[in-house]
Amino acid sequence: MISQVFILSSKGDHLIYKDFRGEADKDAISVFYEMVTALSGDQPPVVMSHKDLHFIHVKQGGLYWVASMKINASPFTIIEFLNRLAALTKDYCGSLSEKSVRMNFTLIYELLDEMVDYGYIQTTSTDILKNFIQTEAVSSKPFSLFDLSNVGLFGAETQQSKVAPSAAASRPIMSHHSEQGGKNEIFVDVVERLSVVIGSNGVLMKADVEGEIRVKCFLPTCSEMRIGLNEEFSIGKSQLRGYGTSVHVDECSFHQSVKLDEFDTYRILKVCPSQGEQTLMQYQLSDELPCAPPFRLFPTVEKDYGSRLLIFLKLRCDLPPKSTAINVSVTVPVPKGSLSLSQELSSPEQTAELQLKHKAVLWSIPRFHGGSQLSALFKVEVPGLSSASFLEVGPVSLSFELPKQTCTGLQIRFLRLSPTQQGLSQRWVRYVTHSDSYTIRI
Amino acid sequence: MTDSKYFTTTKKGEIFELKAELNSDKKEKKKEAVKKVIASMTVGKDVSALFPDVVNCMQTDNLELKKLVYLYLMNYAKSQPDMAIMAVNTFVKDCEDPNPLIRALAVRTMGCIRVDKITEYLCEPLRKCLKDEDPYVRKTAAVCVAKLHDINAQLVEDQGFLDTLKDLISDSNPMVVANAVAALSEIAESHPNSNLLDLNPQTINKLLTALNECTEWGQIFILDCLANYTPRDDRESQSICERVTPRLSHANSAVVLSAVKVLMKFMEMLPKDLDYYGTLLKKLAPPLVTLLSAEPELQYVALRNINLIVQKRPEILKHEMKVFFVKYNDPIYVKLEKLDIMIRLASQANIAQVLAELKEYATEVDVDFVRKAVRAIGRCAIKVEQSAERCVSTLLDLIQTKVNYVVQEAIVVIKDIFRKYPNKYESVIATLCENLDSLDEPEARAAMIWIVGEYAERIDNADELLESFLEGFHDESTQVQLQLLTAIVKLFLKKPTETQELVQQVLSLATQDSDNPDLRDRGYIYWRLLSTDPVAAKEVVLAEKPLISEETDLIEPTLLDELICHIGTLASVYHKPPSAFVEGSRGVQHKRLPARTGSGESAESPDVGQSVSVSEAPPAVIPSQGDLLGDLLNLDLAPPTTNVPVVPSSMQMGAMDLLGGGLDSLMGDDSETLGGDLGGSPAMGVAVGGAPVTMPAVGGGLGDLFDLGGGVGMTSGFYSPPKTVWLPAMKAKGLEISGTFVRRGGVINVDLSLTNKAMSVMTDFAIQFNKNSFGLSPAGPLQVLTPLSPNQTVEVSLPLGTTGPVMKMEPLNNLQVAVKNNIDVFYFSCHYPISLLFVEDGKMDRQVFLATWKDIPSENEAQFQIKDCHLSSDAASNKLQGSNIFTVAKRTVEVQDMLYQSIKLTNGIWVLAELRIQTGNPSYTLSVKCRAPEVAQFVYQSYELILKN
Repeated sequence: MISQVFILSSKGDHLIYKDFRGEADKDAISVFYEMVTALSGDQPPVVMSHKDLHFIHVKQGGLYWVASMKINASPFTIIEFLNRLAALTKDYCGSLSEKSVRMNFTLIYELLDEMVDYGYIQTTSTDILKNFIQTEAVSSKPFSLFDLSNVGLFGAETQQSKVAPSAAASRPIMSHHSEQGGKNEIFVDVVERLSVVIGSNGVLMKADVEGEIRVKCFLPTCSEMRIGLNEEFSIGKSQLRGYGTSVHVDECSFHQSVKLDEFDTYRILKVCPSQGEQTLMQYQLSDELPCAPPFRLFPTVEKDYGSRLLIFLKLRCDLPPKSTAINVSVTVPVPKGSLSLSQELSSPEQTAELQLKHKAVLWSIPRFHGGSQLSALFKVEVPGLSSASFLEVGPVSLSFELPKQTCTGLQIRFLRLSPTQQGLSQRWVRYVTHSDSYTIRI
Repeated sequence: MTDSKYFTTTKKGEIFELKAELNSDKKEKKKEAVKKVIASMTVGKDVSALFPDVVNCMQTDNLELKKLVYLYLMNYAKSQPDMAIMAVNTFVKDCEDPNPLIRALAVRTMGCIRVDKITEYLCEPLRKCLKDEDPYVRKTAAVCVAKLHDINAQLVEDQGFLDTLKDLISDSNPMVVANAVAALSEIAESHPNSNLLDLNPQTINKLLTALNECTEWGQIFILDCLANYTPRDDRESQSICERVTPRLSHANSAVVLSAVKVLMKFMEMLPKDLDYYGTLLKKLAPPLVTLLSAEPELQYVALRNINLIVQKRPEILKHEMKVFFVKYNDPIYVKLEKLDIMIRLASQANIAQVLAELKEYATEVDVDFVRKAVRAIGRCAIKVEQSAERCVSTLLDLIQTKVNYVVQEAIVVIKDIFRKYPNKYESVIATLCENLDSLDEPEARAAMIWIVGEYAERIDNADELLESFLEGFHDESTQVQLQLLTAIVKLFLKKPTETQELVQQVLSLATQDSDNPDLRDRGYIYWRLLSTDPVAAKEVVLAEKPLISEETDLIEPTLLDELICHIGTLASVYHKPPSAFVEGSRGVQHKRLPARTGSGESAESPDVGQSVSVSEAPPAVIPSQGDLLGDLLNLDLAPPTTNVPVVPSSMQMGAMDLLGGGLDSLMGDDSETLGGDLGGSPAMGVAVGGAPVTMPAVGGGLGDLFDLGGGVGMTSGFYSPPKTVWLPAMKAKGLEISGTFVRRGGVINVDLSLTNKAMSVMTDFAIQFNKNSFGLSPAGPLQVLTPLSPNQTVEVSLPLGTTGPVMKMEPLNNLQVAVKNNIDVFYFSCHYPISLLFVEDGKMDRQVFLATWKDIPSENEAQFQIKDCHLSSDAASNKLQGSNIFTVAKRTVEVQDMLYQSIKLTNGIWVLAELRIQTGNPSYTLSVKCRAPEVAQFVYQSYELILKN
């Protein structure tokens, strides 16, 4: 049971404060802010307590979303709720920022009143909430179709910008007056996160994929949407169908609004999407990637004359030739006390720098085509280089994005709306894989 | 126009302006004004002065405005109770409004106005709303009952709202059910003994049905409520589990965790051989793994819970080791939790993989994480014996990196490895010593010093090493000082010749130059030990130490069980019972896992085993790993309960002097910390009194000491030797048994002290004797009723009979004993004084004595000398009689007294004796005649013992 909910800006300004049970003081806000800013790096920030008041918070959109409670509540409930509150705020206000929260404070109070009563969470579903909400949202900037500055996948935090021709992600879902070009659009994103560990001998030690299908719906009315996945999609470790062509995941969970009666036979998800953003399905796969891991590294680490360390890296991209990885950055830890770096890179668009604070060399590659290979030579000046210093080189970690790719091979065969929407209704399906933790040991 | 401008008014007199706007005729203007008021309220400005004006806006048909006004009311009504009454009429009216939104809004807001005067007006509208036709109103009213209960519990009961609330559990709308359950659960918590949430199979069934239909948040209320139910038998338990299992695949992690809680709890009731039990175990793993792909905040909370689950049922996740491998971009707090779980899951099967990972982690950048990784390698070595060697070599590799904190951490864990596998990896000591200079943290220094002291005999320059530490003695932390003191004393005991100077130096540093009472006390104890009895000192200081076990960092079982009942709550994140951090009555209830009940023997009442107990003592928490060194320090002091020699009362005056004033402070201040341990110090014996004192070998606290002293002081009692260690902890996986035999009121007893020197709880004790010469056998079971926790000692007295199977033993008084506990069966043998068998009716008639004496052939006569005895013949006679040696006749010839004595053994054998005592001669002559001549030797021993004690 939640005692209070409050939203603070990163500077500690009170944006929203709601007391549900009258059992805690308003001072709690400043107590919380002092605690959260005084935390050191290794202290778990999630759950904090002051006397008999417990705080749980998440940070989204640069804001602190905080709930306090006096009883032995469930942190899972609270975190899920706070995330949902932030998502709803984003759905209703269009974007998530200090400005949008300030501008819509009455709306957020109204939302909070319907979402929580006496600390008991009532509902977080837009479908139910829209029956009660009276206040109109105020958009932080006038919506323009031509403003493509913050286009992007809403599901993934990516910088890539040429996927969808719409600034859909940043407009309020429920605009009563539609002069803002309220198009009937629906977006379906398949987002996968890849975790890989490759051992020093080149053996793939671990490969996990966490994926989700997310929907953002701007359709005012939609009775049912049918999403067809690959027919050969299979779930579970033992259940193997066919020979290798199947798309396979270990585990799957669904949003509770998803109807699965056609899933077992036809791999069709049926859902009546509420307006706003939802994760329809989450899945994961471990250890059995259907394809080779996208990157391989062939490192050589040698001692040059004097106190110079030579790191020669050959990086191969094993994606299909037509695909491209973007925003690849390679982090190579170097021994402590490293002084300077000189590098030889294979193309001018790449960059490399020595980050003394992190004791690492950062090699950035904006685009990397499938099937190609890049190499880099780093000469690092390390005073007092010893054999033990070599132990400090590695493991190399990579971060990247693979647009239009899924590692599991999951595809959306079709997206059907019924009844068929009148007029313009646009359906977008987008895929992206990005690295979660991609580590190659040396 | 946007709302943000409301925040920017800073003008003086704004209240005045707002007042005007609020009273404006235009609706739009009013609304804007109320918004401004609320904005000020949010940033913390006091706008309570506007109360009447805002309340005036309440009567409107504009819902948006109404909501805004209510928002204001909730905030300020409490500070303006009199004016709040003004709003009541509108509320009551709104509760009759045709629009259900307005009805619900009114009842919701009224409940939030925590003003006593309002509550009586609330009752009627609430009653109506509880029976409203619209579910939205009903679910709001259900919560309102909880609100009202918090303000005025009596009123709620008197008005019968609780019964209405109970009826709502059967409502057709799942939202209403969920809120009713939530409200009842909260009310029930403040009345632990009321049967408010009358959980029985029927209501449970209703809840399970509602579970499938209600929102995710409602599901959480219902699952949490289910978790408080105790099924009648395993069949009911299974059927609930079956209906809860589908929740495990819910996308909302809170639903998943609440379901896990129910399943973990009810699983306890399922027989382990049931197929379904195995199925359930398998089903629990995937949802837990899925949680690890959530955002870091949830991951952290999930990992804290998994940590508990893994301790309770490691089998669930034993194949999922890989998911706990850290990712390079995990936040540090997630990394540390993962590491902890990795160790808990480590087994022989996956240890190679785990070690390879840990080694990688140990070269990462983050210092805290690297430290913990190194420590984890040590814990692996202790947990999985087969991996110890590999761990040690990994640690040595890491030491070679010379990275300062890695080296220090490695040395701390190597010390633990030595304590687990003594005399196995000493070859690495040389490498450790090379790094002596780089150690700057107290823990690492203390560990290194401990190693040097412990293995002083194998380190050629141990004295130099320790001496180098001694130079800056006063700048060291207490931990290091204590360790250094002990190490040097160890060194001295091992190599006395060349280290005398060193030990004197450290003793004087500790006792004279230090202000730290712990250090001073320990210094004095060593000093006195060394000066009075170096042999005893050796036995105390260099005693074998119990091995450490990997269980040191486990949560204590009863606490763990309680925490399992609180999975998915704050308690599971803090790893503390709710009573430790929740104020008031709500946290007091302890929850327990249900006991297994077979379906055949179903309990009568559904409340049996309902988990409420208020008087339970808070469970103790086992020291975490960080405390190991503390233990170590204590261990050195604790008497190892070997034979501490009895100190005669005629102890040299020198020793007495030494005690001087120090003793008072010892006993006064530090009896709490040292009391138990002091039993081993001979110095104490002198302090207790002039009476012949026997030292209890087991540290039973000072109280025991005095008791015993008193008991022995009486001349006529049965003499019982002090307890000696029969079974050292080393040989019995941490169980130490010491004991003595005593004859009390004609009954033979064996008094035992069982000490748990292991790290885990011991239970299920039993004892058995082998066949023996006099047919001794336990007359009852060993009465150790409560489990024996670590470091606890229990005293038991076991009455013995003499009718057991007989077999002649060598020596005659040898007794072989088997003791069993939950860990193993242990064997030991001990010797009993034969005087134990002397029965009370052993006084022979004079005539019979004479005849028997003559009858026994003279070759059966044995003669012994008892030396150094200063008792008069009467005193001796008295003393002997206390042990059932009866003087039949006494004859005095010149300066010589002759006592004729008879003894009867339990098996009917008579022993006749003649004791000659010459005045002025401390040497007595004892002649023993018996038909079973082999007894004579033991009778003589008994005489010796009795007369001299």
